[in-house]
Amino acid sequence: MQLSRPMLIVGHILVLAICLSILFPMAIVLATAFKPMNEIYAGGLLPQVPTLENFGRLFEKTAFGWYIWNSSGTTLLRVIGQLIIGVLAAYAFARFRFPYRDVLFALVLGAMMIPQVLTMLPIYIMMAQLGWFDTWWALIVPNLATPIAVFLLRQHMMSFPNELIDAAQMDGAGHWTTLWRVIVPNLGPAMSALTIIIFIDSWNEYFWPLLVTESAQSRTIQIGLREFLQEDMNDYGALMAGIIVASLPAIAVFLFFQRRVMDTFVSSGLKG
Amino acid sequence: MSLHRPETQLVTGAVPVGAASGQPLAHPKRTDIAARLAPWLYLAPTVLLLAVFTYWPLLQTAYLSMVDWNLNPGQPAEFVGLDNYGRVTGSTLFQAAFVNTLIYVGASIPLKVLLPIPVAVFLWSVGQKGHFYRAILFMPTLISFVVAGIAFLWILNPIFGYAKVIFAELGLRFPNLLADPDSAIWVIIGISTWKVLGFNVLIYLAGLASINKELIEAMRMDGAGDITIFRRLIWPLLTPTLTFVTISTVIFTMQQVFTPIDLMTEGGPSNSTTNLFYMIYQYSFVTFDVGGGAAGTMILFTFLMIMAFVQFRVLDRRAHYQQ
Repeated sequence: MQLSRPMLIVGHILVLAICLSILFPMAIVLATAFKPMNEIYAGGLLPQVPTLENFGRLFEKTAFGWYIWNSSGTTLLRVIGQLIIGVLAAYAFARFRFPYRDVLFALVLGAMMIPQVLTMLPIYIMMAQLGWFDTWWALIVPNLATPIAVFLLRQHMMSFPNELIDAAQMDGAGHWTTLWRVIVPNLGPAMSALTIIIFIDSWNEYFWPLLVTESAQSRTIQIGLREFLQEDMNDYGALMAGIIVASLPAIAVFLFFQRRVMDTFVSSGLKG
Repeated sequence: MSLHRPETQLVTGAVPVGAASGQPLAHPKRTDIAARLAPWLYLAPTVLLLAVFTYWPLLQTAYLSMVDWNLNPGQPAEFVGLDNYGRVTGSTLFQAAFVNTLIYVGASIPLKVLLPIPVAVFLWSVGQKGHFYRAILFMPTLISFVVAGIAFLWILNPIFGYAKVIFAELGLRFPNLLADPDSAIWVIIGISTWKVLGFNVLIYLAGLASINKELIEAMRMDGAGDITIFRRLIWPLLTPTLTFVTISTVIFTMQQVFTPIDLMTEGGPSNSTTNLFYMIYQYSFVTFDVGGGAAGTMILFTFLMIMAFVQFRVLDRRAHYQQ
């Protein structure tokens, strides 16, 4: 559609203003992270003598190495686990007919509408009984089922060409082989979109790790930053360094998949 | 849909014909059972996990809302019926949390649900040229709320923050926004808008992508202007997307403002930024009043159900109107 000229100008101004309001805070964070102590509180925008000392202080003052380890480990295991479990369920819904299938599918979709806040208390008590506090188990296991993954992958599997599956099965492949050798390798865009969604969700998660981690060695990056903020309220240099480190993986993912992320986010998933 | 061929057929198809005829009678039966079991095996992890970590806890919460317990395993929970509900709803904390929840949700409709629409329509109309804008709009989706919260704490810092520097250059005094009960909630609403706006724009773009551009050209030929095209064509066709965005944004808003509240204000000053989620957290994990926390949770659950119902009704009716 071609907008009329005045509309086009208004549009550019509106979107430009929003983009600037997004970029400006990011620029300030970046600039502050590379300023030496005396410049941080002086109020100039750009660092005069750029330095890495804020990053050094961040690792000295906090167990940031542990935070990175915990965030990376639990996120990696969650991405793998959630994808495998989601693929299995999606396959069952897409390619089998069995009693209660539609009821079960509705229950899976319904779980999407139940926010974590409604279930956290009993799960917290469960974790206490299992002795899972301060362990990766508590961070990983309660999150392993991913309704959105089941939904999205099912949609893609249903539109998968039957000829390919028939051909595989003619060659003697059972369900298991067909699924992992024929279907999954062809689900590239959906799988990468999901990987990114799960990655960001897990890496940025705040509330649940806040409840189930106690010792510094078990914290994730997000919770570590919160503790640092509360203990060392005024070391904004190191805090800015910390939030840059915390954002790097997600930004790296973004730069790698920029195009793909947005297109798959938009076209594959949410349209249904 | 021709997906479902019975498993038995598939197995006999794979076995040489001669071999199949020589099988004892019991064998096909066993594969029959295996075939019927197969989908359940594929489903088992998801079904078990959702049962244990979503649906069972929901029921368990309903039970916990009727007990008096402090999370101490040595002390048995005492059944008190509906007392917790009366206690929670009677507290000033609940009243503040409830009103603030309405403000958070109310403000999110124009800011997070409606504002992205013109942005999306604009980006859609410029096509490929809007790619750069899209990339920037998407960035806040990637970074965490902790990062955003800490960044804005620094920018809004009343003594050293950059906002103060800018105000000073304009000859103005920068107010301590987070210490003022009237403005603190708007800081949090602003940050959560900052975080989610671009994502909603992308969802609208997905909805717009399915609109047939020829229809627009046809309307243009008939002399329709931008506004008419938007009102008569784009808006009605966007209604399903609007429903989705509204519902997901409301749930998102309830949940996600927890992080900035916890980091920046802890519900204060004088309960002006707390919401139902944060209240539940305080009951459950700050004062260890499990019954109060669970009762609050059930109230929030009811609230969310009502909201979802109202949204479906309102948006559905409007969709009918325009057909």
